[in-house]
Amino acid sequence: MGSAIIYGAISLVICVAYFLAVDHFLMDSQGLDFWYLFRK
Amino acid sequence: MGRVAGKKLFSIMALAAMIGLLLLPIAVSLPSLAIGADAPDAVKKEGEVKYEKGRDVYYKTEGLAIGAPAPKTVDGPKDYPRYNFESRVLLWFANQQHLYYGSFVLAVPIFCMVIEFMGVVTKDKAMAKKYDQLAYDFIKISLTAYSLTAILGGILIFTFLTLYPAFFGYLSSIFRPVMHIYALMFVAESGTLYIYYYGWDKMKEGLLKYIHLSMSVVLNVIGTLLMFLANSWIGFMMSPAGVDEQGRFLGNIWHVIHTALWNPLNVHRILGNMAFGGGVVAAYAAYKFLASKTDEDRAHYDWMGYIAMALGVAFLIPLPFAGYWLMREVYAYRQQMGITLMGGLLAWLFIIQATMIGILFLSTNYYLWQALGRMRGAEKYQRYIKYLVFILCCGYLVFITPHTIVMTPAELKAMGGQQHPVLGNYGVMSAKNGGINVIITTTILSFVWYMRGNKVSTVSWSKFGNIFMGVFFACAYVNIIWLAIYGYYIPANVRVGLSVPQVATTLSCLFFMFPLNAAMMKGAKQMGAIEWGKISVRSQYALIMLATAFTWMMGLMGYIRSSVRLFWHVNEIMRDNSPWAYTHTVGFAANMISFNVLFFWVSILFVFWLGSLGMKKAPVEAKAGVPGGAPQPAGGH
Repeated sequence: MGSAIIYGAISLVICVAYFLAVDHFLMDSQGLDFWYLFRK
Repeated sequence: MGRVAGKKLFSIMALAAMIGLLLLPIAVSLPSLAIGADAPDAVKKEGEVKYEKGRDVYYKTEGLAIGAPAPKTVDGPKDYPRYNFESRVLLWFANQQHLYYGSFVLAVPIFCMVIEFMGVVTKDKAMAKKYDQLAYDFIKISLTAYSLTAILGGILIFTFLTLYPAFFGYLSSIFRPVMHIYALMFVAESGTLYIYYYGWDKMKEGLLKYIHLSMSVVLNVIGTLLMFLANSWIGFMMSPAGVDEQGRFLGNIWHVIHTALWNPLNVHRILGNMAFGGGVVAAYAAYKFLASKTDEDRAHYDWMGYIAMALGVAFLIPLPFAGYWLMREVYAYRQQMGITLMGGLLAWLFIIQATMIGILFLSTNYYLWQALGRMRGAEKYQRYIKYLVFILCCGYLVFITPHTIVMTPAELKAMGGQQHPVLGNYGVMSAKNGGINVIITTTILSFVWYMRGNKVSTVSWSKFGNIFMGVFFACAYVNIIWLAIYGYYIPANVRVGLSVPQVATTLSCLFFMFPLNAAMMKGAKQMGAIEWGKISVRSQYALIMLATAFTWMMGLMGYIRSSVRLFWHVNEIMRDNSPWAYTHTVGFAANMISFNVLFFWVSILFVFWLGSLGMKKAPVEAKAGVPGGAPQPAGGH
C-alpha cells in the first residue's frame, strides 16, 4: 500500500508537469499566453 | 534452378514495368508542364497572338493569361441541357457512388500491403499463412470493386459532359495536362493491380515475396497520387488559384493544383478512405460471421473483422484532427466560407455530423467491450465499463449540443431566446472540443484494456506502470476538461489556441500509452487464449453499424464540402446559373444521402457475392486445445 502511494505521487507529479508543459508550450508556439487569466 | 531464376527475372521485370508505369505519366506530362513556361517565348516567336497579363487570385503573382475566361453561363439547353429532372441530383448520385467505390479500392490495397507485410515478418508460419490469405481475400474483393469504380467513373464523366458541358469544358481546359496524367495513372494502377493480384501464387516465397510486397507499395503510391490529382479539382473549385479574376489560366499548372485547400483535403481524404475501407471490410467480415455455419469460419471472420476494425479505427482517431485542420484552412482562405459551414447555412449539418462521429466512436467502444468477452481473464474490466459508458455519453451529449435551435416564435418566447439558458452553454466550440477529445481518449483507453484483456504483466515495474497509466489517463481527462472550461473565461483569440493542447493531450495518450502498454505486456502471463469466434452476435451488428455510419457520414461531409460553394461552380470565378444553384433543405439532403448509402450497400453486397464465387477457403490451422479453432495473431492481437 505504501509503495502504491509513492508510485501514485511520483506519477501525479510527472503527469501534471507534463500536461502543464504541453499546455504552456503549445499555446506559446501559437503566440498565445496560456496563463492569460492568471496574469490579468 | 532455371525455372526459379526465370520466375525471379520475370518478377523483377514486372516490378520494373510497374515503376515504369508509375513514372510514365510524369514523363509524358513534362512537355505539358512546360507549356506555361514556354508560352511567353511562343508569343514572341509567333507575334500574332497577344496575351494580356493577369494576376493570380490566390498567389498574387502575375502571368500571361493564356487560357480562356470562365464562361458566363445562362440557364438554357446550351449550358445546362437536362432531362425532366434535377441535373444536380443525377450528378450528386454519380459522383457519390464513384467516390464510395474509389475510396474503397484505394483503401483496401493499403490494408493488403500492411497485412501482407505482417505475414512476411511474422515468425509463426501458421499466422504468416493466415495473414497472407487474408490479404489475398481483401485484394480479390477490391479487384471486383475496381471494375465497378471504373464504370462509375465513366458514368460520372458522361454525366458532366451531357448535363454540365460548359462547366466541364472550362474545368478540363484548366486541368488538361492533369487529366491526361490522371488517365495514364489509372492505366498504371490497373496494370499494377492485375500483376499484383495474378502474381500472388507465383510469388509467394523468398525474394519473390519481397518483390510482390514491393509491388503493393508501388500500387499504393499510384493510387494515392491518383487521389491527390482528383483532389486538386475539388480544391480548385473551392479555393481557385493559378487563374486571374476572370478565370483565365496563367500558365502555371502547379498553382492550379496546389490550391489553399489541396493539402488539407489530401490528408483528410486519405485518412477518411482508410477508415471507410476498414469499416466496409469489417462489415463484410461481420456479414460472413453471421452467415457462418461452422466454428472454424466464425473464428476466421471474427478475426478478419477485428483486424479490419482495428485498421479502420487507427485512421479514424486522427481523422477529426485532420478535419479540424481542413476547417481551419477554410477559415483562413475565406472566413465567410467557414462561417457558412459551421455557423450559418450548413451548421445544422455539422450537428448531424457530430452525431455520426459520436456514433462511430460509441460503436467502436461497444465492439471492443464485447470483444473482451472472447478472452479469459478480461472479466476484471467488465465492471469498469459502466464508467466508460458514462464518460462517453457525457462527451457525446456535449459534442452534439447545437448552439441555437430552429424554433417557432412561441417556443422562442418560452425559452427566452435562441439559446437554451443551460444547454446553450455547451453549444460552443470550447465545450465541443472537450467533448470529442474525451470521446477519443476513452476509445484509446478501451483499446488499451482490450490489448491487455487476457494478460497479466510480469515485468518488475508492472505496479508502477499500472499506476502511472491510470494517473496519466486521469490527468489527460482533467486537462481536456479543464481546457474546455478555461475557454469560457478567456477572449476568443486566446481560446481558439486551446484546441491544440487539447488535441496534443489526446494524442499523448495514443502515442505514449500504447507503447507503454506494449512494453508492459512483453512476456506477459496469458490468463487464457483469445477464443476467436466466441463473441456476441451484437458485436457484429456494431461493426455493420460502424460501416453504415461511416458511409452516411462520408456522404454528408461530401455534400457539405460541395455545398459551401453556394451558387458558384468555381468559387468567385464561375457562377452556377442553373435552376439548381440553391442549397437544399436538410431533410432533402439527408434523404439523398440515405439513398446513396443504400445504393452503395446493395451494390457492394453484389460485389461481395461476386468475390465469394471463386474464393479460396481460408487456411485456418487450429492450435490444439484452443476453442474456436483459429490461431491467434502474434502477440494475441
